[in-house]
Amino acid sequence: MIQAISASDYLQPVHDGAALPPLEAALKNLCRERFRRIDRFIQLALLGSARCVAGRTLQPDCGIYLGSGLGPIGNNILTQQQLIRDAEIPKPVNFVNTLGSSAGFHVARNLGLRGQNFFISRRGASLQAVLGAAMADLTHGVVGQALVGVVEEVTLPLGEHRLRQHLPEDRTLAEGSHWFVLQPGTGDSRSLDLKRFAEFATLEDFLKSVWRTGDRLCCARSMETHAAKTMQRGFDAGALSGPTSAFHDSLEAAWLAAFAVSREPGTLFLVDGHPERGWSLFYLGA
Amino acid sequence: MAGAYIRGVGLSCALGEDAESGVSAMQRRQVRPVVLRLDEFDEPLQMPYYRIPDRAELFDAGRLERLLPPVARAAVAQAGLTPEEIHRLPLFIGSSCFSIGLSESRYAAALAHQSETAIPMPLCGYQDIAAILQRALACRGDTYTYNTACTASANALLGALRMIELGWYRHALVVGAEWANRTTLAGFSGLQIVADALRPFDAARKGIVLGEGIGAVVLSAETDSANRLRVIGGASNCDTWSVTTANTNGKSVAAVLNQALEQTHLRPRQVRGIKAHGTATPAGDTAEALGIRQVFAGLPPLSVLKPYLGHTLGACGINELILFAGALQRSFLPATPGFETPDPALGVQPIITPEAAPDGHYLLNHFGFGGNNTVLVLEKTAP
Repeated sequence: MIQAISASDYLQPVHDGAALPPLEAALKNLCRERFRRIDRFIQLALLGSARCVAGRTLQPDCGIYLGSGLGPIGNNILTQQQLIRDAEIPKPVNFVNTLGSSAGFHVARNLGLRGQNFFISRRGASLQAVLGAAMADLTHGVVGQALVGVVEEVTLPLGEHRLRQHLPEDRTLAEGSHWFVLQPGTGDSRSLDLKRFAEFATLEDFLKSVWRTGDRLCCARSMETHAAKTMQRGFDAGALSGPTSAFHDSLEAAWLAAFAVSREPGTLFLVDGHPERGWSLFYLGA
Repeated sequence: MAGAYIRGVGLSCALGEDAESGVSAMQRRQVRPVVLRLDEFDEPLQMPYYRIPDRAELFDAGRLERLLPPVARAAVAQAGLTPEEIHRLPLFIGSSCFSIGLSESRYAAALAHQSETAIPMPLCGYQDIAAILQRALACRGDTYTYNTACTASANALLGALRMIELGWYRHALVVGAEWANRTTLAGFSGLQIVADALRPFDAARKGIVLGEGIGAVVLSAETDSANRLRVIGGASNCDTWSVTTANTNGKSVAAVLNQALEQTHLRPRQVRGIKAHGTATPAGDTAEALGIRQVFAGLPPLSVLKPYLGHTLGACGINELILFAGALQRSFLPATPGFETPDPALGVQPIITPEAAPDGHYLLNHFGFGGNNTVLVLEKTAP
């Protein structure tokens, strides 16, 4: 049994004409040292992870699993402008921070961790990728604790940010940093489990066997559409507690984190898959 | 059942456009970097570079889509997977650059065409390599794309290995992909760690020489009687001393080596050889050498492969695994070109002539920006 012993959820809509919300003051209170020359993606990772840990001491070999669909897009834009538009050699700090692992480095340094530190993406299903990798390692016993986070950054101007993601002009955008501390064991915390199914019918049968009134169902956006509709028809899914109006690339993480930090009863089931690749079911219980 | 077998491989790098010819070229000690020049800067950049010997223009936007599929197909074909197995094949990808070269090309074209509306980073995210592979192989399995700098494909392999061991997958395709792009070339130049030649662990070492390479490995829970190579485990840790290098006292390197040995129930004296990371930077080689010495009382033979194919960054884990495994299958440990003068401060010397590679266990080291240290453990057994 794996438990989510802590969670944090930062989700901030960014509206047209508005500046990005400043993060420096919050970081000053949350970070052990003052990190200089860090980009917004790193700031978001530090903010979410520090809030999730919130005074708790993690095991030093706790693994970090950071996921993102877009990664440090703001820094990558700056670097590409320096290089292509301005024909300048990128500044070393900008170049180094083009790598997703720079954010994990700062999170590890801030929290005093020295375990494995992975950045994994699966575009809009990056939560499923990092949760899967973390749960594999926890089940395997490779790590005794996992700090799992998903971070998505918004860049200005918002019109360009939408264009990059092929989003309609009126789509509200959000940035987010959603984190969980997972470890094996039983206790008062919410349990997190993952089951994998080759056949959709087996998934349905399993879900029917464990479903209780008041449970929540979240069909991932990467799930095959017909199966998602079948699922939503077949279960009294209830309203998701997470926000659905503002978009970022890993909204499933926002839903899961919002449910994790709430005291709502029941279980949230996150289902994903495709007839050609099989099905996965993450469930976060009471 | 612990571990997973290397069932099929594909490789395209400076040594050649398939794995067998790459190993043969390494056996012949082929070292052929080209001279690369980037004229768009006020002060043009010139550096040696290990390029894949195709005939395309180096920064051609369609190059990745041409280079990647044949490598993956070669690995899958050698593994002998059924169409159904290929259909559900999960992909584990490690890269530092992903599709940044494509993004650069599109942005440059847009600037040239209509600069006011050109959008930087027109392609974003990390999914393009997976998408190309899924189209080419008609596979629809899960994808995991790792971006942990120079340990990316080694970490991707660790991820695949652990999920195979848990029975989540029977087979996995692990791919490392690094190809020429301006961001990487100019970025490393800006860091001032690019040298004129690779001299790993040498007293006169000055830094890295970059290369491009695409490698693919089919890892499998099952094997056939001819298969002699199995990845039996590994370990990864994070050193927060510096974002660009492991602590030069060697402690985090020693820690990850010890974790890998512990995880695979091995003692140092059971290790028959080490494929070192050997970037040839002053600090990187210091950290690695001191770490190795803290673990091994008697040093096993040490090979560095980067002088053959350059530093292929996020792909080096898979590319060097394929070459090293190929050498083990031919029962030799590769020599290390470029090493001439021992550095007394390091106390390690890579082998300069090929040595015999007996059955047993071998370590493969990888270290990267972001504090990432990863060691893989490979087992060679009698057929």
